[in-house]
Amino acid sequence: MAGGIDRRLVYNVDWVLVGATFVLALVGVAMVYSATHSGRNPDLYLKQLALVGVGTLGLVMAATIDYRRLADRAMLLYTLSAVSLVYVLRFGPLKAGTRRWIEVGGFQLQPSELVKIAAAVIVAKIFSEYRQETLGLGDVALPGAAIGLLAVLIAREPDLGTAACLVPLFLAVAFLAGLRMRAVAGLAAVILLLAAFTWPFLKDYQKTRIYTFLDPSLDPRGAGYQKIQSQIAVGSGGFVGRGFLEGSQAQLGYLPARHTDFIFSVLAEEAGFVGVVVVLSLYLFVLWRMLETARLARDRLGAFLVAGITASFAFQVVYNVAMVAGLVPVKGLPLPLMSYGGSSVLSSLVGIGLVLSVRMRRFAN
Amino acid sequence: MRIYEDLRDVQSRLAVLQALVVGLVALLVIQFWNLQVIRARHFRDLAENNRSRLVTLAAPRGALLDREGHVLVGNRPSFNVVLVPEHAVDLDRVVARLAWTLGMGEAAIRERLVRRQPYRPLVVKTDATLADVAALEARRLELPEVSVEVVPLRSYPLASAAAHALGRVGEITERQLELAEYKELAAGSLVGQAGVESQYNRELMGRDGFRRVIVNSRGLEVSEAERQAPVDGPSLTLSIDASLQAAVEKAFEGRAGSAVALDPRTGEVLAMTSTPAYDPNEFTTGIDASAWASLARDPQTPLMNRVIQGTYSPGSTFKVIAATAALEEGVITPATTFFCPGYLAVYNTVFHCANARGHGVMDLRRAIANSCNVYFFQVGIRLEIARLAKWAKLMGLGVPTGIDLPAEASGLMPSPEWKMRVFKTPWYAGETVSVAIGQGQVNATPLQMARVAAVIANGGRLVHPHLARTAGGAGWAPVPLGIRPETIAAVKEGMRAVVAEGTGWPARLSTVEVCGKTGSAQVVAKSRLEKSPNAFEMQPHGWFLAFAPADDPRIALAVLVEHGRSGTGSAAPVARQILAHFFGLDRPTPPGPSGTADTEAED
Repeated sequence: MAGGIDRRLVYNVDWVLVGATFVLALVGVAMVYSATHSGRNPDLYLKQLALVGVGTLGLVMAATIDYRRLADRAMLLYTLSAVSLVYVLRFGPLKAGTRRWIEVGGFQLQPSELVKIAAAVIVAKIFSEYRQETLGLGDVALPGAAIGLLAVLIAREPDLGTAACLVPLFLAVAFLAGLRMRAVAGLAAVILLLAAFTWPFLKDYQKTRIYTFLDPSLDPRGAGYQKIQSQIAVGSGGFVGRGFLEGSQAQLGYLPARHTDFIFSVLAEEAGFVGVVVVLSLYLFVLWRMLETARLARDRLGAFLVAGITASFAFQVVYNVAMVAGLVPVKGLPLPLMSYGGSSVLSSLVGIGLVLSVRMRRFAN
Repeated sequence: MRIYEDLRDVQSRLAVLQALVVGLVALLVIQFWNLQVIRARHFRDLAENNRSRLVTLAAPRGALLDREGHVLVGNRPSFNVVLVPEHAVDLDRVVARLAWTLGMGEAAIRERLVRRQPYRPLVVKTDATLADVAALEARRLELPEVSVEVVPLRSYPLASAAAHALGRVGEITERQLELAEYKELAAGSLVGQAGVESQYNRELMGRDGFRRVIVNSRGLEVSEAERQAPVDGPSLTLSIDASLQAAVEKAFEGRAGSAVALDPRTGEVLAMTSTPAYDPNEFTTGIDASAWASLARDPQTPLMNRVIQGTYSPGSTFKVIAATAALEEGVITPATTFFCPGYLAVYNTVFHCANARGHGVMDLRRAIANSCNVYFFQVGIRLEIARLAKWAKLMGLGVPTGIDLPAEASGLMPSPEWKMRVFKTPWYAGETVSVAIGQGQVNATPLQMARVAAVIANGGRLVHPHLARTAGGAGWAPVPLGIRPETIAAVKEGMRAVVAEGTGWPARLSTVEVCGKTGSAQVVAKSRLEKSPNAFEMQPHGWFLAFAPADDPRIALAVLVEHGRSGTGSAAPVARQILAHFFGLDRPTPPGPSGTADTEAED
């Protein structure tokens, strides 16, 4: 009776969330087309479309699985995550100074993207087993250490952006599970201290990024270049945008990483403030709907799982868009659902699949 | 049976997370409103700067034509290598590679980079060779931020001929950039730096056009957005006669000095030379520092236009002025005679005539013809300095002629007021005796003396010398000085005798009657010359003023040969060559003197 596809379950699918998700993914495909149609890989948008298809399969599978069965295997998930991350660090191909990928049958997969999903399951499982009303710092030490280890492994690749996603994930679930506000403040202090101690171990290019974020004119051709060019693209889009395929920053190649991390710049330039508000509203709708699902969940496990996935998703959206707008330092963090990249699309869609799974089963036993 | 957990606490905390998400997205929307609506224009401009590159379409400067329409100064196509540093991802690498490709120093390129304007293409090398262009084309993809522009370059087919009159062009200087006259120009613009090129710079420049092209992030041109065609500078016709100018240059070969030929009826300059000269072509692409230094420090001052900037003692050519003044003031008549014993002792000084044995009894005509000093000592004593100075100034000494060339010298006509003002000492009557024969403090430019010749030639009108035929015009009409025709006739008669039977005999032509006046300008005191009589730089300058034909003069001339010893020996033969060409009589000098003149004796 658990698992399998029940008619009642299909009836409870959140079709509105599914619809909004696929609108965003298709806007992403259109922006990938705009960003790459005149370049060396003009067919990249077709690949992205295919990846959305693969991701849809992942979404369906995730929705089909009963999240409670998944949570029962949290220990296995954790082991798999840690092993894959260590494997990447040891044997992954070196690309642009980083080891983030593993080759799977001709495809490249970023384990860190899927580890985010696993982390959400693990954190939800641990916190759902606590029975007390409020939690102190001592209660969060074990899950904190478990997630911290994964984050450190990801940060070593190095992939600070993805590693950072685990922090809001963990904090959001701990907060829902009853972590006291005083403890939240303490945790923030611990994280700040950790950041201070990490500073000497940051690579030079990472430090430069932070310096030039504070003053982009320090290096208008180097690290500050991306922020400057992105702001120019966004600002020059104006209220209604310059038109699809008409953005000079995107079309003439001034925008860096325009089909991946800076895909939102292309949208802002070509669709203007109007397009930005429409797409941000869609994201807000998706996030709101996900948190609604957490509220409707039949158990703490479901609520925590959805909250963890949503927190990491929200962090990525907010950070990436803030980066495009020049509000935060440039970090390699893709925009969920829209940025080109298989692992990111797959991870986003699987995450939403799990959210659907929780919602579908809110009345089920 | 269903078991529901109590989730109320979790649900209330979820509301906090929902509020947080809404708040963050709202913050983002505010930032996008700020960037895309409030500051949209600023960023639109930046995007425009990013993608568009302004390519100047240089307007060719107007050509300079001679009176017959021959090209004196024109333009030829040339290649400029330009760089837009904003498009360079690694500027150091681009500069190093460019310096290597063009075979020039990196420092030279960096120096230009410092003074450039943002987003304006920087000219790295002007007048690049075909080999340079080929080398750059071969590296087109490695150096996309570098391009080659075809621009018209100033060309001076006459090379150094008439160089001082025509002038030269050069990059605008820092000082010029601050002047109102040049305020629309950018650093690196070519402007006239001397001569007509400078005087008529604004008229000749035309208006540059531009192309605004769209470039991609690698600096490669994608399309053209806008084009404004350049407006060519209009050509300017000068009064110079290229053929006569060539004859003047030829006559001056191997000599230092200057000559200027005017049309005495209008003041138009027919030819003008100053030697040694320089080749203005060397300046058009930016002269290098060592070449400039050698020109600027040359003791022969090749950059100076001696015709308007060289001030020389006029020597005996001044007697034309003294004679006119004396006749007009009624001090003498053409028939007045004085006896010349070879010297005049007056004011406790002995003043010498050039002919130590004496000229004997002289009337005005013979005094001018033989350049008798004693006659003019007597004239000076009777005129006195005030009336002499008045007439010298009327005839154009001590003030610039107003020719349409920059930086003209004014020369000097001394007077008691001038001496009191400058030296705080009174005028001595003995000084007038010297000034009457063009010695002492008086000095003048060759152009001023050519103008004096023109006054006698055209019947008493002071011309305004000028080079441009199509510009100016108003205010350039000759000004009548109110000299009586009898005076003009008497002076002219004396000048006719100078060539026919006096010191100017080498200027005689077979079929055209030439009027003239010789002169020699002492460079050092006579006593010093006597100590080293053969030192070249101590020899007097030779002068010759002339106009012809005597009855209806169409040309007036001043020739000055530096250190030519005498006007008779140096300047008069040059004048003859020029006049012979003007009248189409290019033939050798006639045989020796037939008149009464002593060839050695003048002054």
